Amino acid sequence: MSVRPQDTQTAATTDAGIPVDAVYTPERHPVRTPEPPGEPPFTRGVRPLMYRERPWAVRQLAGFGTPEDTNRRLRLLLEHGATAVNTVFDFPTNRGYDSDAPLARADAGQGGVAVDSVEDMVALYAGIPLDEVSVSIVVSHPVAAGVVLAMYLVAAERRGYRPEDLAGTLQNDFMMETVVLTAPSVLEPAFAFRLSTDVVEYCLQHVPRWNAISYTGYNYREAGADAVQEAALVVAHAVATAEEMVRRGHPVDTFASRLTAFFSADNDFFEEIAKYRAARRVYARVFAERLGAREPRSRMLRYHVQTAGSALTAQQPLNNVTRSAYHALAAVLGGAQSLHVSAYDEALSIPSESAALTALHTQHILRHETGVDRTADPLAGSHYVESLTDAVEQRVYELLARIDALGGLVAAVEQGWVHKHLLANAYERQLAIDDGTRTVVGVNRFRSDEPLHIDPFRVPATLEPQEDKLRRLRAGRDGARVRAALDALRDTAASGRNTMPPLLEAVRAGATLGECSEVFRDLHGGWRQPLI
Amino acid sequence: MSQVDRIRVVMAKPGLDSHYRGTMVVSRYLVQQGMEVVYVGNQTAEQIVRAVLAEDADVLGLSSLSGNHLATVPPILAGLRSSGLDDVLVLLGGIVPSADAEVLRAAGVHEIFGPGSELVTIARTIRERVARRAAPVAPAVTEGIAMA
Repeated sequence: MSVRPQDTQTAATTDAGIPVDAVYTPERHPVRTPEPPGEPPFTRGVRPLMYRERPWAVRQLAGFGTPEDTNRRLRLLLEHGATAVNTVFDFPTNRGYDSDAPLARADAGQGGVAVDSVEDMVALYAGIPLDEVSVSIVVSHPVAAGVVLAMYLVAAERRGYRPEDLAGTLQNDFMMETVVLTAPSVLEPAFAFRLSTDVVEYCLQHVPRWNAISYTGYNYREAGADAVQEAALVVAHAVATAEEMVRRGHPVDTFASRLTAFFSADNDFFEEIAKYRAARRVYARVFAERLGAREPRSRMLRYHVQTAGSALTAQQPLNNVTRSAYHALAAVLGGAQSLHVSAYDEALSIPSESAALTALHTQHILRHETGVDRTADPLAGSHYVESLTDAVEQRVYELLARIDALGGLVAAVEQGWVHKHLLANAYERQLAIDDGTRTVVGVNRFRSDEPLHIDPFRVPATLEPQEDKLRRLRAGRDGARVRAALDALRDTAASGRNTMPPLLEAVRAGATLGECSEVFRDLHGGWRQPLI
Repeated sequence: MSQVDRIRVVMAKPGLDSHYRGTMVVSRYLVQQGMEVVYVGNQTAEQIVRAVLAEDADVLGLSSLSGNHLATVPPILAGLRSSGLDDVLVLLGGIVPSADAEVLRAAGVHEIFGPGSELVTIARTIRERVARRAAPVAPAVTEGIAMA
């Protein structure tokens, strides 16, 4: 038996530290119900009829092993009712290394699918109609994101699709490279940011239905951000992209509708819902007031949600089914456009087929059994939810002002301000779990010593088949053409012109991912993350 | 720990696994506990062994959440042995299935800390194990140097 005293009351603040009263009343918490859904500033959602008009996309993340392995998993999910594709790439691919690079070999196929060349992209999406299914490409680091998108475009071109046929999303977030994750040679933030904007600019002109960037609030959160910081960093990042695009001569209403975001859904149920509502409102106001956007679509914050992986536990793993279902419910009540539910074995391994299907069916249950999608923003007018939305909004504005005072988001990253806050939160949270002030069922309370009944998923052998393909590719290509293309890429990158056209030529010539990314690292790699 | 004889820890992420939140949280805690921590980030086995040597580390903390542990950790252990660093305490944190954990313990990893591990347990393990290694020889050697 635990000697810990029973809770007499639950915490009186949200996870982000917002005070919460025990009861909300119209007298003490006068709130105004916001504009109807579909009307700026979109507190209640981006569409007038929300899910009756367009259901959220059932977009389960998948990726491991070789492109052939992942292709089978993608098709399995589509056969079981997924409505869109969401591909995650392995550690080497996200960091811009070929599978056979010395640092990469042990991670080939781990955490995602291995992609080294255009041939791999052809195999990855074989049999999937790219003009009908929206494809999310989870490559975040700008050192590799543009390269992988170039490979996707060339692979689609070979299958006869035109760029305007293609719909999907590229993650392409410079903070993933510089703040959230680590790599052996990190690009300087300003250069990584510039590469990400190159993709936005290229897609605006050539791939009109493509979302060229998805601000990864989810990952800021996993790195330690709270809900307020998550929302503020997403908005600050979108402002940074928009200002850079305007500086390059593109009026805000020409491109802003293609900017998208990616949020987490974590444990604090109502705060998460308030976060989505507040983020939409702040975003719409900032794009109108600060950037002068006139088109409603330019002011809409559209986003995908992934239920929080860091909230899942290795202990009592089936509890994660319950956790993820609550997270998913918050995402839908908050008005997400697209959803991934995490699998219950994620704290143990890459999701097994059965865990991946349970996660997918969690979405089907939410949509087809609970009726939560019947009416738009059903919590509107709740004194608690509206008060919390206002409180999150106010704190997001405060953080945006601080980021502005530092010189904008890129400067805040360069100065280590973002690292400092995220890591401090992560540290405090762990201390709170260890000392029991923050409950994690199965970890620091309600523990059991029952053995795990989970067989961890084993990633199939990836390095050898990828090595074989790379050998064949390097032997069969025109070496002089590859060298010329990589030289042109280097010249363009050094000059400040858009890097996407020479990247497309390089991948058409048969350049590998690692060869292209190495050009960027060679010019602007080696940045040291200010971690302490 | 005394401030004059602090436990020295090298923290590394072998291969390209990029999840560094756990490493940072543990590093910060160990520093709070009076240890000296050098975080070297993503490195190859050779580079990690060189860092342990250069930093004269008592402890090597490895972190792997990507599933690369069976490929990356044994070469590091072999490198430590061939460099005469057998006495370095090797800890591994991250996502390591239990069958793999047995393999890695047999290969020379002293402790493995999975998700949900408490910071206080990690620090206590380090202190106890380093003290146990140092106990028979360290006081005499230290005194000898002090006297000389």
